[in-house]
Amino acid sequence: MIKLNNITHSYGSNPVLHHLNLDFAPNQLTCLLGGSGCGKTTILRLIAGLEIPQEGQVLIEDKIVTENTQIIIPPYQRNTGFIFQDLALWPHFTVYKNIAFGLTERREKHVKETVFKMLSFFGLQEHVQKYPHQLSGGQKQLVAISRSLVLKPKILLMDEPLSNLDVKLKRKILEHIKNLKQSREFGADLTIIYVTHDHKEAFAIADKIVVLNKGKIEETGTVEQIKKSENKFVKYFLEY
Amino acid sequence: MLKQTNCPLSFGHCKLFWIVFVLFTFFIVFPVAYTLITALFTGGSFVDNLLLLNKGTFILLAKSCIIAFSIALFSTLFGTILGLLLYKTNVKYRSWFKIVLLIPLFISPYILAVAWKDFFFIFFNNTSFLSSTFGVILVLTTIFTPLSMLIIGSALSNIDTQLEETGFVITKLHRVIYKITLPLIKPAIISSFVLVFIFSISEFSVPAFFGVKVFTTEIFTQFSAFYNHSLAILQSTLLILICVLLLFSERKYIADAPFISVGGQGTKSKSYDLKNWGLLSVLFLFGWFFITVVLPFIILFVQSFKTGTSSFIQAFELLLPTFGNSIGLAFSGALIIVFVGFIAAYFSSRKAGKTFDWLLLIIFAIPSIIFGISLIKFYNHPILDFIYSGYAIILIGYVGKFSFISAKLIANAIKQIPLSLDEAAQIEGVTFSARLRKILIPLIMPSIIVSFIISFIFCLGELGITIMLYPPGTEIMPIKVFTIMANAPQSLTSSMTLIVFSITLLIITGFYFIVRPFLKKYNTAND
Repeated sequence: MIKLNNITHSYGSNPVLHHLNLDFAPNQLTCLLGGSGCGKTTILRLIAGLEIPQEGQVLIEDKIVTENTQIIIPPYQRNTGFIFQDLALWPHFTVYKNIAFGLTERREKHVKETVFKMLSFFGLQEHVQKYPHQLSGGQKQLVAISRSLVLKPKILLMDEPLSNLDVKLKRKILEHIKNLKQSREFGADLTIIYVTHDHKEAFAIADKIVVLNKGKIEETGTVEQIKKSENKFVKYFLEY
Repeated sequence: MLKQTNCPLSFGHCKLFWIVFVLFTFFIVFPVAYTLITALFTGGSFVDNLLLLNKGTFILLAKSCIIAFSIALFSTLFGTILGLLLYKTNVKYRSWFKIVLLIPLFISPYILAVAWKDFFFIFFNNTSFLSSTFGVILVLTTIFTPLSMLIIGSALSNIDTQLEETGFVITKLHRVIYKITLPLIKPAIISSFVLVFIFSISEFSVPAFFGVKVFTTEIFTQFSAFYNHSLAILQSTLLILICVLLLFSERKYIADAPFISVGGQGTKSKSYDLKNWGLLSVLFLFGWFFITVVLPFIILFVQSFKTGTSSFIQAFELLLPTFGNSIGLAFSGALIIVFVGFIAAYFSSRKAGKTFDWLLLIIFAIPSIIFGISLIKFYNHPILDFIYSGYAIILIGYVGKFSFISAKLIANAIKQIPLSLDEAAQIEGVTFSARLRKILIPLIMPSIIVSFIISFIFCLGELGITIMLYPPGTEIMPIKVFTIMANAPQSLTSSMTLIVFSITLLIITGFYFIVRPFLKKYNTAND
């Protein structure tokens, strides 16, 4: 589904990824787990097309979307959704407009109907005319997820979306994400890549986990495999 | 978000603030309020005085508003285009263009007016186009576009990149600019429009030089030629009302806006890749630089030396006695302005006192010529003669006019410094003055320096206030040029403006090279 071939990327003189190879299976929720600066967010940005690597290829459904220093397919044609850590809800749009923007830009039909379906899935109907600053942290989170899902992307990229929430809210949203995978309407054929530094969060939702350290893969496997891993770094990381 | 400490502004706590506040109110606010109020109510009732304003006054006011509206519209439009190119794209030489395109903002408007008149004279042998509303709009648009560019560029570089990136995942670049980027900087676009409108409607030298009758020239005529002071002040009140209302509405809009366009958490501004448009964009920027900076300079140069070097030498001899006075006045003015600006900025951003901020804003909104009239009317009194008959009255004028800009620049810098830095020192028992000297001031030093340079250059070229306030016998550069150019031959006028233009350019360049390593050091330390 998604392939990263031999990717090298750095920010100025600071190398982040060095000849990285990584595959993501379709219809799975893969968690990229690791500490700060290990390259998790860079991987998401490369897949979305928001970052251009110095070397290597990114393939989505066997099509090369980025090659070396060139974007072959622009971000808006990759059929991806991106949820940022800060959520990036457009502050000048209401909840409705935030969710409907992508649909109207793509000249989709039945915009209102689709938006309201999405709002009712997440229980946000009563907030439809509010601005982001009038919402609670959890509601903002759900609006950001709705905004990405309403376009029915094949890939959903989530960059530590729960890092600013308290434990109770985190659990509630994780439940939503789990339900989402089972939803026919919004979760069918959806590949989710979820970045986190919290292993408990990853264990709660992941089908597969990739543990990263200093731009390199330390371990890959299911939750059980990662828990039983003998890798020194993984053991250390899970301990703390 | 940091919580601001709630200072009751009691005298014991904020001595310095109260001293500066009282001095500013006494020397600047009180004279203006006194002059305006007495003019409105003396010699009859308020209504009787209002009847002095005839239909012609309102037609002239409407004309001035249309001119100012057009200048604000064009400046904001071009400022947005330049801002997008320089602050949001990877266009070549953008750091260089960011500096050189600001030059017209620091050159006195009348200098560029002379250059454009020379240009039309040389190439079309006819200056009637310029001696019209269109001429005023053209020249002032080239002068105020850099101001819009600066305001809009600053907002663009502060946009949270993720807001745009979310758009890139959904739609094309031009749609992201149109639907996300531009609406996010709407407050900056409105601020730019309002500020340029106020500057334009207050502008006196360009319409006066082109012989275009506008509201400010009419007020000047009523005051200086017909000595009809009450009518002049009454007319001024109308202009003040428009400017203050506009500024209040702008402030209210920004305060009520349901969003804040800036302040992304740890995100750097993203540059759009211009791809095939790169060369065209560089050509456009260079064209703008050529038309607004290089061309006026060349034209003035050609006109000055058309008949040999005699005009230039004569101009230099005429201006020589004014250099010391002008530079000294500008330097002293800038020092006081930065001090007042810092005090107002500190207390408005860190304490509960917004009144000073509002006073600075209101005085700033008063057109220069009217502000000058108010000061003359108040200080022209035997007891206050020591102020009226010397340079002090000009300094008071400069401080009143430009402290708002300085306070705004410094307040923006103070808001970026976490309050916790100050609180950490407070817990360790560091005194208030030591915290200011050793923590806050070093951290905002770049803004203080920039504020000083801008104030210095504005004071050096200021004409509207200076022409009303300069005491007889004093030698000040812009006044000398302006009074001589009415009757002097073209080559002498061009030579004088060329000298002032060159001096201003030299000072800007000098400041740039002196301050650059200093700013770099501070920026590196603050990173």
